Amino acid sequence: MVFLEVEMAWNVVILPEQLDANGLLLHKAIILRLMDDIANRKASKEHGYYVAVTTLNSIGEGKVRELSGDVLFPVTFSCITQKPAKGEILVGTVDKILKQGIFLKSGPISSIFLSEKMMRDYKYVGGENPMFLNDKHAKLEKDTMVRFKVLGLKWLESDREFQILATLAGDFLGSL
Amino acid sequence: MSGEEEENAAELKIGEEFLKAKCLMNCEVARILDHKYDQLQQTSDDPTNQISQVFEKSMQYVKRFSRYKNPDAVRQVREVLSRYKLAEFELCVLGNLCPETVEEAIAIVPSIKSKGRMLEDDAIEKMLHDLSLIKKFE
Repeated sequence: MVFLEVEMAWNVVILPEQLDANGLLLHKAIILRLMDDIANRKASKEHGYYVAVTTLNSIGEGKVRELSGDVLFPVTFSCITQKPAKGEILVGTVDKILKQGIFLKSGPISSIFLSEKMMRDYKYVGGENPMFLNDKHAKLEKDTMVRFKVLGLKWLESDREFQILATLAGDFLGSL
Repeated sequence: MSGEEEENAAELKIGEEFLKAKCLMNCEVARILDHKYDQLQQTSDDPTNQISQVFEKSMQYVKRFSRYKNPDAVRQVREVLSRYKLAEFELCVLGNLCPETVEEAIAIVPSIKSKGRMLEDDAIEKMLHDLSLIKKFE
């Protein structure tokens, strides 16, 4: 999983009561609000998942919003992001096992589906503890670590997250 | 990236952001997030509120899947890999997955063997050897 450190711009809204003559407190209010905003935004189609704000690089001139009295500060900051790419090799853990395939999770990505059709020689074995087994007795069960390839991905605007289709077709893929 | 050309990490056809921005390996992210986590505990009145789910899941992930824990080793891995004229993205995939053989390295980062690249098998072998030494002496 490749993470990125990206610089981006944002507008932070500060309430009038948080405008303190002490510049340090204002600075802190801006940082906290920015982190809050980014955490709530969770992810976007262009940047991927927002993992953490690392540095606040600049704070522009504040503009008062007439109706509310809030002050809007344009800021630039660096943020660690994670964006999955098609064709990328990722490592994840098995979350759920169904007859039709396996759900995996990997870092911030919680919706990765590995269809039974994409698992080459792995076969479903039902029971109390369902799993997939292959001829070489490699096992895929809950919490197994799996190396897979991203076959396709889709951005879901309503859930603000990516949905990934995985495959094991390729050398050196499968359970670790 | 242009919409016409389809994204494919195997051929290094990836979004421009991967080529422009700084790419980070799991072990590097683990160090940054650790530091960030401590900082949040100290500065915030309500630290649990400031830690997003994405942060938490990423932190668990990078801790579990970091091959190198010691800060010096993390620095050395980047240093060793940067000698081989790799794209940032390739560097991170290799540093994360730590292939053991040349075949495995090419399977997970096929672009290192693509046309016009100078990386011979010997060079890849040397690179993997250097990486395994870092791991051994960590």
